[in-house]
Amino acid sequence: MKSQAATNSQSPSPLSEAQPHDQPVLSAQPTPLRPERRRAPRRTWETPPAPVPAAHLDDYQTIVGTAELDELRFLARELKGKTVKMVNSTAVGGGVAEMLNRLVPLLGELEVTTHWDVITGGNDFFEVTKAFHNALHGSEYQLTRSAQEIFLAYNEQNRQRMQFTEDMVVIHDPQPAALIGSRKDSPGRWVWRCHIDLSNPNPQVWGFLRPFIEQFDAAIFSSQSFARQLPIPQYLFYPCIDPLSEKNKEIDESFVQKVCDEFGVDRTRPIVTQVSRFDRLKDPVGVVQAFKLARKYVDCQLVLAGGGASDDPEGALVLKEVKEVAGDDPDIIILDLPPWCALEINALQRASTIVVQKSIKEGFGLTVTEALWKGKPTIAGAVGGIPNQIIHKLTGMLVHSVEGCAYQIRYLLTHPEFAAQLGRNGREHVKENFLMTTNVRRWLLLLRILLRAGAPTGTPFS
Amino acid sequence: MTTTAQLPLSRTPVKPFYFNTSAHLLRITTQKANTLAELLDALRVCPDDSIFQHTFRTLQELHFIREGFSNDFAHWALTACNEPGLAEQLASVDVREFTSLGELRERFVQIVEKHLQLNPADGQRMAEETFYFCAADIVVMPTKFVAETLQDFAKGLREVSVHSIHHHFIEARLRIKLMSNDFSQWLYEDVGLTDVARALNRIDIYTVTLEDVRKQMLRIVERSLA
Repeated sequence: MKSQAATNSQSPSPLSEAQPHDQPVLSAQPTPLRPERRRAPRRTWETPPAPVPAAHLDDYQTIVGTAELDELRFLARELKGKTVKMVNSTAVGGGVAEMLNRLVPLLGELEVTTHWDVITGGNDFFEVTKAFHNALHGSEYQLTRSAQEIFLAYNEQNRQRMQFTEDMVVIHDPQPAALIGSRKDSPGRWVWRCHIDLSNPNPQVWGFLRPFIEQFDAAIFSSQSFARQLPIPQYLFYPCIDPLSEKNKEIDESFVQKVCDEFGVDRTRPIVTQVSRFDRLKDPVGVVQAFKLARKYVDCQLVLAGGGASDDPEGALVLKEVKEVAGDDPDIIILDLPPWCALEINALQRASTIVVQKSIKEGFGLTVTEALWKGKPTIAGAVGGIPNQIIHKLTGMLVHSVEGCAYQIRYLLTHPEFAAQLGRNGREHVKENFLMTTNVRRWLLLLRILLRAGAPTGTPFS
Repeated sequence: MTTTAQLPLSRTPVKPFYFNTSAHLLRITTQKANTLAELLDALRVCPDDSIFQHTFRTLQELHFIREGFSNDFAHWALTACNEPGLAEQLASVDVREFTSLGELRERFVQIVEKHLQLNPADGQRMAEETFYFCAADIVVMPTKFVAETLQDFAKGLREVSVHSIHHHFIEARLRIKLMSNDFSQWLYEDVGLTDVARALNRIDIYTVTLEDVRKQMLRIVERSLA
């Protein structure tokens, strides 16, 4: 097993300590390499690149067409001057922050001023909310009074320092849910945007959170199966990717090659890739097992590229588990990357023959969206919002087990034309449903509906 | 419609064609089905905008699929219930044959009812996935394209979004309550091009993508311009 980015026990992670320029980040032990695999001089990871300027609406014209942009402008016309506040738990790492980084400026360009606030909290708060996150995904959990008090205390602390004067306030995920306490003093409509899979929540934790959620004017979920029986309207907003972001934009073939050389990925052989945080819910161990099963029949390499979001304490443990299962296999490349390696992720996805997302639980699975957008045949777990993206055998392949994943890897690698058609369909599906411009449209529609005297009832065709 | 001679290019239509489009917001309702019996019950009582969402709207959302998808009910019957025969019958429902959602709903109810009468045991078998009924909240918007001539019309057809094509070509019959579409009605009533109107109305939307539909319409209209 090749381990990149100094994640063994003797070298600190790039996230925790800066590396001197002349100290190798790669594993100190030389690894037996196939003759055709060369490793280019490595780059350092200790500093994030300069932030990329946000894209403007017109920049999307070549991707979605002028007509689509005109429709957005029309929708925004009667919302000019309205204000929105978005509140979430982290400014970096994870799909929510990534999405808000693009959404907020675009809404602003349409003259819907959008403020983005991030709640603050100590390690105790984020330990509690991580436990809530796992519990809401169905894990066993004993909700203690202490956990509740920590949750409420930090929410109250944030509520006291924030102001909520906007026309629409959007609270993302459970971490800031108790900020709803400010609704009674706020002039605007409050929306709870849930990004996680709530189909089988721990009853204690959901029972604790539910009274907060019921106070909102509306809730948004990423999949129908996540919705709960709530007395408020529930909307379906598919999450989205930004086709112009570093992670999704077109990049030069030379850069793709450079990244593969840097990580020792052999582009002359099939590449199977999963890009995800090292989180048990993403089942990276299962991916390794599936890969090993598939490789009995077809030659291929496995790339597991991940890292930790700023609100995910478990990543190091899971990474260790994955390395143990991978063993010394030279065809398994495990990359622990800092959250700012969007271009490198982009390159790895584009270099891949197949992309896998074998999640056991998933909110929506934006890594699937990224892969589909790049036209990659994608195999994914039939969980969460993934079935909204992967329509089995039409836009990708859904699987339910390690064995199923292994079989589809074999099938797609041996049926390249079918795989290519899946890739083309997948890209069109993303273009229609999961791009940033569609997300902007949904937010504009919701703002219109909530700010009107009453939501439209029935269909114009009754 | 009576056949009329080809009109000179300089003929001004009686009135312009205004290209509109529509935007939809998806709402999750409280109804769901885990068996075919539950699907039937829900089909009978769900709101009209649910029927609309799972037939007209998903056709728009998956407009790029050439084969293998017709409506959500058929797709669920096949992939979640493993009922290919029922799925084929449900998939055969052409939304363009209906001018009201009530009639469309009744058709689906009849198909599922009949299947369950012939196969009562299928009614209680648990599906692999739950069917969640959703509904569409709709906003209709103008576009910048107004056709005062046939050339303008071709230009509009070429440049409007695929949502506009769907709005005028597929959803339209629910508005105008006719077995037709906005484009054909305008070509027939306001331009006098009956054959062109008929040719457009015959385009099969279930074996091609919406972009293919656009291309076919353009070919038909541009032939009449030649």
